[in-house]
Amino acid sequence: MLNPRASWRTLALRIFLLSLAAHFASVAFAQAPHHAHHDHDDHAMQMDANGMVMNSNTENLPQDCASVSDDVSIDVQVGREFARTGLTYGFSAHVWRVPPCARLRVTLRNLDEVRHQWMVHGLPKYLYPQGMFHLEANGRREVTGTFIVPSDDGTYLVHCDVSHHMEQGLKAQLLVGRGAGDLPSIPGVSAQRRPDSYE
Amino acid sequence: MTKRRVYLLALIVLVGPLFYTLPISKLPVSVQQHYYNVFGERAYREPPAGISNVVAPLSIDEICSPELAAWRAAHDIEGVQITAVADCMPDNPWDIAVAVKGANNVSPATLMKSLYALDTVEKSDDRDGDGDPDLIRIRLEVMELNGKSPDVPGPVPRFEIAPGITPGLWVFAPKSRGMTTANFETADANRLIRLPAPVIRVEQGDEVEITLENSHYLPHTIHFHGVDHPFTTPQGAGNDGVPTFSEHPTMPGKAHTYWLRPRHAGTSFYHCHVQPHSHILMGLQGMFVVEENRPGNWLQTFNVGAGRVRAASVAVREDYQREYDLHYLELDADLNNRIQDFTDPRLISRSIHRDYDIVERRPEYYVLNGRSFPYTLRESLIVSGAGENNLLRVLNGGNESLALHFHGHKPILTHRDGVELGAEFSEQRDVFSIASAQRIDLNLSTVNDGRDAYGAGAWLLHDHREQAVTSNGIGPGGGVSLVVYEDYLDEHGLPQTVGGLQSLAAFFSPDYYAGKLPVFAGMGPHHFTDVAQATWLQRHRSVLFGLCLLIWMLLLRAFLRSRRV
Repeated sequence: MLNPRASWRTLALRIFLLSLAAHFASVAFAQAPHHAHHDHDDHAMQMDANGMVMNSNTENLPQDCASVSDDVSIDVQVGREFARTGLTYGFSAHVWRVPPCARLRVTLRNLDEVRHQWMVHGLPKYLYPQGMFHLEANGRREVTGTFIVPSDDGTYLVHCDVSHHMEQGLKAQLLVGRGAGDLPSIPGVSAQRRPDSYE
Repeated sequence: MTKRRVYLLALIVLVGPLFYTLPISKLPVSVQQHYYNVFGERAYREPPAGISNVVAPLSIDEICSPELAAWRAAHDIEGVQITAVADCMPDNPWDIAVAVKGANNVSPATLMKSLYALDTVEKSDDRDGDGDPDLIRIRLEVMELNGKSPDVPGPVPRFEIAPGITPGLWVFAPKSRGMTTANFETADANRLIRLPAPVIRVEQGDEVEITLENSHYLPHTIHFHGVDHPFTTPQGAGNDGVPTFSEHPTMPGKAHTYWLRPRHAGTSFYHCHVQPHSHILMGLQGMFVVEENRPGNWLQTFNVGAGRVRAASVAVREDYQREYDLHYLELDADLNNRIQDFTDPRLISRSIHRDYDIVERRPEYYVLNGRSFPYTLRESLIVSGAGENNLLRVLNGGNESLALHFHGHKPILTHRDGVELGAEFSEQRDVFSIASAQRIDLNLSTVNDGRDAYGAGAWLLHDHREQAVTSNGIGPGGGVSLVVYEDYLDEHGLPQTVGGLQSLAAFFSPDYYAGKLPVFAGMGPHHFTDVAQATWLQRHRSVLFGLCLLIWMLLLRAFLRSRRV
C-alpha cells in the first residue's frame, strides 16, 4: 500500500480505473459547478438495519439540466438466483437506460443472506462526493435511494464492491441517453477481456 | 573471379572474430593445451564491473504512512481506553472502540470513523450484573484477496504480504460496509480485509452468536477448534463446522449462525472445515481467545491483523503490562495462486480441490500476522519496556511445526492449547516447538537477570527452521520480527538499525524479493558481492562464436563451389 514501487500490474489497474472514472466523469470536470453551496466534506449517508444509502440527491440538478426530465423508478433484485453460468451472483438486470437529466429512484432488493451493493461510479463530483451513488442492502433487506443523472449521453459502471462480487457477476451498466458504448464483462452483454480458458 | 576474391577476403577477415570469441575453456583440455602451446596465453581481460547505486534511497513515508501517525497515541473513545502504541502502522482506534463497546452502543460518529457495519458486533444483556455485556453477536464475511479480475491484469483486491508479494488468499473478515478497497484510486484492500482473519475475543461464560455470511463463491463453514461449543446449536442446527457430519456447508449468498458459551478461558483457533487441506491453508483461519470472567470486562472483540491488544482484558492487565497475538502461517504459492488463474468458480474449485496435491506441498512464504519481513516491522514488533511481563499468545495455523526462537530471552510457557500447565509443568526455553494448529501462551519477561532476559536491545524473534526466515528462498524474509525495547525504537516505531533507515532500503524493494538485488547491496555500491554486470559482448560470446563459425563455413562452402565453376 505504501510502496511507491508498485508493480506494473497495479499501475495498469490504477490507470484503468482512473481512465474509467475520467471517461465517465468528463462532464463533471468540464465546467465549474452550479451548486457551490453544496457541502461535500462528507458523504451524505443514511444507515440503518436495512443497509445504507450514500449521496442521495432528489433536487440538485446537474449542470445543463434545466429541469428534471423524467421520473424513473427501477426495482433491482440481487442474489444467487440471477447468476449466469460460470458466475456466482447476479442482478435481475444488468443494463438500465434512462433519459438525460432523469431522476432515478432505485430500490435494491437483496434476496441473499449476505450484503450486496448497487454502486454507481463516475457521476459529477460537484453533486456526488467521489462521483458515487451507493446503495447497500443487508441480507434479505431492501433499500431505496434517488439521484439525478447528468445531461450528457454516458455509460456508468454499476457494481457491487464486496470483494469479488463484481468479478462474480455483480457488474452492470447504466446508460444515460444513448450511452457511450458498453463496458467489458457485463453479464449477458459484453465479453470478459481476460476470459478463463476451458480447454 | 571478383566474387572469389570477396569470399576469400571475408574468410580471412572473419578469422579475427572467430579467435576473439572462441570459448577456449569449453573445448577439450587437450585442445586447450595445443591452443596455448601455439598461440600463448591470452591477454588480460577485466571482469565485468559491479553495478553501483542499485538501491534507491528510502524515505520514511514509503514505510510508515504519515496519516496513520495520529492513531498511535492513547485514545479515550466513549469511555474505551485504548493504549498508546509505537507501531509504524497502528490499528485504527475507532475500529477498536467499536470492537470493545459494540456497534450498537457507540455513537454514529464513532461508527463512521470505523469501517464496521451496524451489526458487525452487537453487545447486550449484562446477565450476571457485573458491568459487562454477556450476549455477544458477531458477523464474519468471507473475502478474497489477490484474486483474478476478468478485466484487468494484476491481483484484486491487492494485499501485499511483503514488497511485491501477493499470494491469493481467502480470509474471514469482520462484516464491513462500503468498498472493499481502501479508496477509489487504489486496488489495495481496506484495513479490515486482510490476512490473518481477525482475532476474536470473548469472555468466559458469554453467550456468543457468530454468524458466517458466506459472501464468497464456494461453500464454507467455521469450526471452533479448542473452544467449548455444543455439537448443535440450541435450535438444533449444526455447530461443529464439519461438512457431512455436523452440518451442510454454508453456500454462497447464505448465512449460518453458530452458538457458543465457553466455560473455560484459553487461546484457541477457528477455521473453515470445508476441504480443510486447501481452505485452511488459503487463509480461512484465525485466533479465538476466551478471556477469564471478571467484573467490568469489556473486551476487544476483534483484534484486526492480530498483534498488540490495545484494550486488554481485566484478567490480562492483572498479570501483564502488554499482550500480543502472534499468528504464524506458511503459504504454498502453488495452492494460493490458483485463484489468479480463473474467475469461474467451477474451474477454481477443480484446480484447488482436485488438481492441487497437498502431498507435494512446498511453501514459499512464511507470515507472522499476515505479513513477512520487512512488513512485520511495521505492525508486528514485540515492543516492551524493561522489567515487564508480556503475554504472547501464539498460534501455528500452518501445516508444519515451527521452532519459535527468541534472541536475548527465555520466555516461560504457561499454557498449551488454552490449558494452564501450572508451575510444575511450565517450561522456560528459547526455542518452542509448536505443532500445526497448536497454541501456546508465553510469559515474555524482560527482567534482566541473565535467564529471562539479557538486557535491553532489538532482539530477533523468528522460527528457527531456516526456510522460515526467507520469502521464496530470499532472506531476510518470512515471519521474522523482533523483541524491541522502547529505548531501541526510533520515532517512527521502527527498530533502530545499524546504518539507519537506508540499511532497510533493499528489503522494501520488490526487486529484492524477486532476486534482482544482491543481498549485500545496502552495504555499499561497489561491494564485492554486487551483481557483476557483463557487457553485451561478454554475455553473448558463445553465441557470437557460433554465428561467426556458421558464416565462416558457409563462406568456405561458397568459396569452394565458386572455384569449381
